[in-house]
Amino acid sequence: MSTAPMSPATWVRHNLFRNRRDAITTVIAAVVVGWVVFQTLRFVFGTARWEVVRANLTLFLVGRYPADEQWRIVAVLIAAAAVAGLVTGVLTKRRRRAAIADDAPLPPLPFARRLGLIGARYWPALVLLLVLLLLARTSTPWVVAGAVIVAAVVGRLVGGALPPKVGIVLYALPVVLPFVALPFLTGPLGWDDWGGMMLTILLATVSMIACFPLGLLLALGRRSTLPALRGLSIGVIEFFRGVPLVALVLMSDVGLGFFFPRDALPGRVVRVTIAFTIFTAAYVAEIVRGGLQSVPRGQTEAAQALGLPPVRMMALVVLPQALRNVIPALVGQFISLFKDTTLVFIIGFLDVLSVADNVIQQPDFRGQGLFAESLVFAAALFWVGAYTLSRESQRIERRLGVGSR
Amino acid sequence: MTEPADARDEGSEGAVFADATVVGGSGDVMIEVFGVDKFFGDFQALKGIDLSVGRQEVIVVIGPSGSGKSTLIRCINRLEKHDHGSIVVDGVELSDDIRAIQAIRRETGMVFQSFNLFPHLTVLDNITLAPRQVRKMPRQEAEALAMELLARVRIPEQARKHPGQLSGGQQQRVAIARALAMQPKVMLFDEPTSALDPEMINEVLDVMKELAREGMTMIVVTHEMGFAREVADRVVFMAEGQIVEVGTPEHFFTRPAEERTKLFLSQIL
Ligand SMILES: Nc1ncnc2c1ncn2[C@@H]1O[C@H](COP(=O)(O)OP(=O)(O)O)[C@@H](O)[C@H]1O
Ligand SMILES: [Mg+2]
Repeated sequence: MSTAPMSPATWVRHNLFRNRRDAITTVIAAVVVGWVVFQTLRFVFGTARWEVVRANLTLFLVGRYPADEQWRIVAVLIAAAAVAGLVTGVLTKRRRRAAIADDAPLPPLPFARRLGLIGARYWPALVLLLVLLLLARTSTPWVVAGAVIVAAVVGRLVGGALPPKVGIVLYALPVVLPFVALPFLTGPLGWDDWGGMMLTILLATVSMIACFPLGLLLALGRRSTLPALRGLSIGVIEFFRGVPLVALVLMSDVGLGFFFPRDALPGRVVRVTIAFTIFTAAYVAEIVRGGLQSVPRGQTEAAQALGLPPVRMMALVVLPQALRNVIPALVGQFISLFKDTTLVFIIGFLDVLSVADNVIQQPDFRGQGLFAESLVFAAALFWVGAYTLSRESQRIERRLGVGSR
Repeated sequence: MTEPADARDEGSEGAVFADATVVGGSGDVMIEVFGVDKFFGDFQALKGIDLSVGRQEVIVVIGPSGSGKSTLIRCINRLEKHDHGSIVVDGVELSDDIRAIQAIRRETGMVFQSFNLFPHLTVLDNITLAPRQVRKMPRQEAEALAMELLARVRIPEQARKHPGQLSGGQQQRVAIARALAMQPKVMLFDEPTSALDPEMINEVLDVMKELAREGMTMIVVTHEMGFAREVADRVVFMAEGQIVEVGTPEHFFTRPAEERTKLFLSQIL
């Protein structure tokens, strides 16, 4: 590529019409893309009848959660946002301190530039949020969105202001808090009435957070020299990889009743979350195992020769390299999990996709062929989540890839 | 036992220590390898190796590819487990006891042909990792030590870079600094310059020569005979898992005794 700036006409000639074949490809591609864009725009802004989504927005977001209890969901959201902000703040501060120690301080950015970066990073989610707010008929969603954003920002600022020692203690917070505070917030209803997008997010987030450490332990167990531990790990991994997820979902809901007294079991949402967690952990374990194998033998030999004991060698030398090598595969698995949570429809939960399917049967909309509107809306919700995950993984990869060989 | 001074004097005159258990260097024994066998399945890689290395002695090990040179020095810090015989390093015998293994590894630095730096850590972190984790040295102290070592291997300006950003010669010097950061009593080198471009070999050899002159006990697998001539107290020639001939560098240059040695030397010189 030439370094001199090209005029637009030259650029077009160079890149799109260099020769006959290029020109033909360009024209065909342009026609196809143009047609798709035109049809999409015509549908979204012209023919589509979004009333079906508008009238059912609450159903799409929270399912059939009782109206006068919905503050509980809002409270959980705010708590989650605050914790996420807090963790980000602590991590960012740590990274800054490390960068200063490395003589490469990250200069603080002007506020407007930071907003711009956040916009570039999360634009699909922000656009979606805006669409949701514009579709809303009341002002409540605006208040909720505002409160969640404020909670995240406050958490972030507090996290950034904490002295380092306190910050480390706070790592435990996202693990402890759900068990202590959330049951209080969810009240007597528990989780089982959750629905819509919030149910999808709940299932996906909790399983994602929980399956990673479990998968890691299974992967390490599979490489262990203790036969009992290795056997157990292999057994768990191979069993859960070999069973269809649908079967696990059904099993978690009805099957367990055959083995355990009903009252002794946790709620349905908790059970199905455990099913998603273990299923994904089995795949995560195999991905991590691949990562461990990708670390050259010389790395462990060098660490051993230096006298590093096995656990430290694993934590400080092998795992960082192994995980960096498998970030794309791990995130792919997480995205699968995110989409697979839709399977809860078979045990009667009203997740986003079930809502999309149900609303077109409502008396007001029945027989009007509105499934496109409803499904496009549900698909957009999923796409935003999956795309954001994928973008974030690329960011992490780039950051960890600094100076790699 | 031979008097230390005699060993040195005889050495410079080119005497043969046909017996590898005679100690050179400053006299007392640092490494004692006795009757060591090593099998990989049915294949015997080491056959009854006897070798004593004196404190501050520099041993160069030569021999054709596959003769067991790497296996020998890897047995000394337990990267390979020997099947028979005994290995004693600075009074500690290698056994299955993990504490003995750790004690010996703490005292033994190793430099590999392929550097094996940790690619995800900066040069500084590569060097401070073991002192901080194993010796529990405070961060500041470990970094000061690391900077001192980097100055010694003549690349203090590379401290904040990652290994992937350095040349091969620079990486190998970092690897030497990393091993030295544990303040070992023994350094093992496994063909440290074989993976380097010719123009980088000398920068690494110079660092090693300096280390030898400062009195480090070293076992160096290398075919750099210039290096052997300059700093080695004894050269060990291995073939097919056995020590064939031991002597001063002068001996190997002037009048090697064994046919196999002559053949090998004619190939590498
Ligand atoms: N891990 C291993 N498994 C099986 N055979 C090995 C292993 N390591 C080395 N060997 C064999 O042992 C012999 C000696 O190897 P090595 O010590 O690396 O030789 P050198 O370093 O002298 O080239 C070679 O024949 C090699 O193939
Ligand atoms: Mg070798």
